[in-house]
Amino acid sequence: MSDPGDAAVSPGSGDGRVVVDLRGIRKEFPGVVACDDANLTVRAGTIHALLGENGAGKTSLVNVLGGVYLPDDGEIWVHGRQRQFHSPADAIAAGIGMVHQEFRLVPTLTVFENVVLGSAPRYLDMGQIIERVAHLAATYSLQTDPSRPVWQLSVGERQRVEILKALWRDADVLVLDEPTAVLTPAEAADLGLTLRSMADRGRSVIYISHKLDEVLSVCDEATVLRNGVTVAQPRSLAGIDRSDLAEMMVGEAAAEIQRPTDQPSGDVVLALEGVSALSDRGLPALHSVDIDVRAGEIVGVAGVSGNGQRELAEAIAGLRPTTAGTMQLEEADITGASPRARSRAGLAYVPEDRLGVGLAPTMSVVDNAVVRSYRSMRRRMMLDLRRCEDFCRRLVERFGVQVGRVHEPVSALSGGNLQRLLLGRELTGEPKVLVAAQPTRGLDVAGIAAIQSQIVAQRAAGVGVLLISEDLDELLALSDRLIVMYEGEVAARMDPTQVTRAEVGAAMAGTAQA
Amino acid sequence: MTEPTHAPLHTVARGRARWHRVIVRPVLQRRARVAPAAQAIAFVIGIVLALIAGAMLLWGSGNDPVAVYERMAESSLGGFDALSRTLLRATPLAIAGLAVAVAGSMGLWNIGAEGQMMAGATVAAGFAMVAGDLPGPVLIVLMLVAGAVGGVVLVVGPALARAYLGVSEIITTLMLVEVAIRIVEWLKVGPWKDPESFGFAQISPLPDQASLPGLFGQVHIGVLFAAALLLAFWLAVSRTAWGYELRMAGSSPATARYAGISLQRKVLTALLLSGGLAGLAGAIELTGTATRLEPGLSSGYGFAGIIVAALALMRPSGVAVVAFVFGAVLRGGQSIQTLGVTSSIATILQAMILIGALVAAVLLNYRVRWVRPVGSGTDADATENPASAGASGV
Repeated sequence: MSDPGDAAVSPGSGDGRVVVDLRGIRKEFPGVVACDDANLTVRAGTIHALLGENGAGKTSLVNVLGGVYLPDDGEIWVHGRQRQFHSPADAIAAGIGMVHQEFRLVPTLTVFENVVLGSAPRYLDMGQIIERVAHLAATYSLQTDPSRPVWQLSVGERQRVEILKALWRDADVLVLDEPTAVLTPAEAADLGLTLRSMADRGRSVIYISHKLDEVLSVCDEATVLRNGVTVAQPRSLAGIDRSDLAEMMVGEAAAEIQRPTDQPSGDVVLALEGVSALSDRGLPALHSVDIDVRAGEIVGVAGVSGNGQRELAEAIAGLRPTTAGTMQLEEADITGASPRARSRAGLAYVPEDRLGVGLAPTMSVVDNAVVRSYRSMRRRMMLDLRRCEDFCRRLVERFGVQVGRVHEPVSALSGGNLQRLLLGRELTGEPKVLVAAQPTRGLDVAGIAAIQSQIVAQRAAGVGVLLISEDLDELLALSDRLIVMYEGEVAARMDPTQVTRAEVGAAMAGTAQA
Repeated sequence: MTEPTHAPLHTVARGRARWHRVIVRPVLQRRARVAPAAQAIAFVIGIVLALIAGAMLLWGSGNDPVAVYERMAESSLGGFDALSRTLLRATPLAIAGLAVAVAGSMGLWNIGAEGQMMAGATVAAGFAMVAGDLPGPVLIVLMLVAGAVGGVVLVVGPALARAYLGVSEIITTLMLVEVAIRIVEWLKVGPWKDPESFGFAQISPLPDQASLPGLFGQVHIGVLFAAALLLAFWLAVSRTAWGYELRMAGSSPATARYAGISLQRKVLTALLLSGGLAGLAGAIELTGTATRLEPGLSSGYGFAGIIVAALALMRPSGVAVVAFVFGAVLRGGQSIQTLGVTSSIATILQAMILIGALVAAVLLNYRVRWVRPVGSGTDADATENPASAGASGV
């Protein structure tokens, strides 16, 4: 209309014209590189899937496009023009509409009020605005009653309001972050129709998901991210099946990881029997999981993220209450024991969130080094600061942590050094069992190698290791036994030396029988 | 064409967005870390800028700024007597500020220190009524203990509700301020009314021996208590396992939980300690400056403690400095009224100085980056020829 860019958008155009082009986007957060050389090319009139596992950088990448984050490097091209978005308002003005996972609606306002909030035309009366919103909704078969207050609406209806908001602001690129996670199957099907009608009218949709079937049925093209890097950009999804996508997401066999030498495993050191737990939202996330870990072996846990791995790790660490089952560490029953008691019993735990859970970001390296041991560093009422510092220096030296000053906040360290510090701290107590959740995620090559060799060394020293990872190569190379989790259950138990990546991928996608 | 269903709203937005394609504009960026020295400098700069703005206010209201500032400095810092008057005000500010900072270091806001001061003073005064014939030193020590108990009593409800039910301590502590003050008002006209004051409603005076010994000039030994408390808290936080756990729980609750620290117990102890300190501040104010309990005894020191703690970034060393400066500002603001500066202008001046310091402290957390956007120039030349993006840290 007024913008020359819009003139080229014609109904039903699958003309291949590039609407959004993100080139070499890099976005770093303290300790983690979320995106590193991520590319995304979206054409007019297509539904474009953005695929990748949790932590692959999908949300960060679209937040760069949506003006939420300023990228550290890379270029944003929209309608053939380079842009710099300093705020979501800039992105909206350029025609980018975002529908976030958490809806941003005012519950007490009506549907049309939410839709026009902040961008209501100045010279129209209420009736005309309602009529326009209703017309817009009808055009895209987004069934809603414009006059109903939002608090009365179902989740699916609220999502439609979010989409309407973007359309009202004339978004020609709509970004949906895991849109079907909250929908019933029928609502998801309706959403698919709506998106298709938008694409048919020349708009573009960026569809973030890791539900592969859905992507295959809804989307035209795809971009696959792994560890913040774009690894595949199929122009067409015809002829591609689920396991192909799964393999793109988890990666080809890349760097060689030295397989540890075979050694006989010892007694069972960690035994989970029928363990169940709830997710943060109070829904069942773990169903009756049985896992044994023996001394001197690495048990790998694979799975598309969100299938109970996080809950499993937290349940073992004592950070998440279990609703059923028992846990034993060597001879001791640790079901219901406190995190501290488990640590004393010989459990080392490297949590998925190394900064924020494993380490306190604003506290110093010394303070973080003694999290597990400060109670033994007391001299009468006082904390023996010299002993803390000595302990920290030994730890830093032994595990090769590169630190400036030990009294600097730990958030100044790089991701690899954070993980060395965290792992080192957990290992100094000579644990019997090590539970490591995503220990190498987001690290550079040197960091990954250092962490992996530490884990292997622990195995050699007779520690039972439960390694939860999304890196299939790592799991296949390091594990003595492999467990695949799907929807909170152990879906398969495999021998990593006998199994192919495709078989593991199928089990991760829920198609194999346990 | 997209659907002609409604006016192209984006034209307005795009039109507005155009100006910053041309102009290099500042972007605020949060700093990862702020050096303590920079904090002190920013604090001073903020005050100086406020004084300059204040000079205009004074000049506009018909006063001579130079004379006024001279009097302010003279009366608060010039000599022992002036200093003693500043310290007299800094004492309750420091203890109340410390009280707020103790809770603040756990990420909690004890907004009701004012009420806990009143509660402390009330319990201390009540104790003096019951045990008024004890010898001075014993009576005073017991009154201070009673004061701390009073503060704890007022905060125990909010603390439990916060620790175990997640009820916001901000609201509960604030509401109890009114309760504490109204109770004193009721005592004044009711059970504790002085029978010897004839028709005039006031609470019976404290026994003579229940007043804190003076130190020099106007100031009493309460200032030493304040210094000792600040030192003790600094030691406790930085040198003890208890303080380590407190810092851990305050800065990263998830890590604390992971380390096996009970967050609920830490919330409880921080709030109770905060209330106890505020109660102690009330008792010190009562025994140090007053002859009897009055509803206006705490005179805003408890609320001012919030400002002190915030400016001090919840650190004990900062509390000492800020309380002293705040005390000087209060003393100076009072003295300039003898020059004919009306009390409202004096109050505005005080507020400006504090706001200046506060704004400087907050802004210090950010760095200004000047960003020259890509494609600067007109739309036409921006299409295929992006100018290089320029961003420089300042």
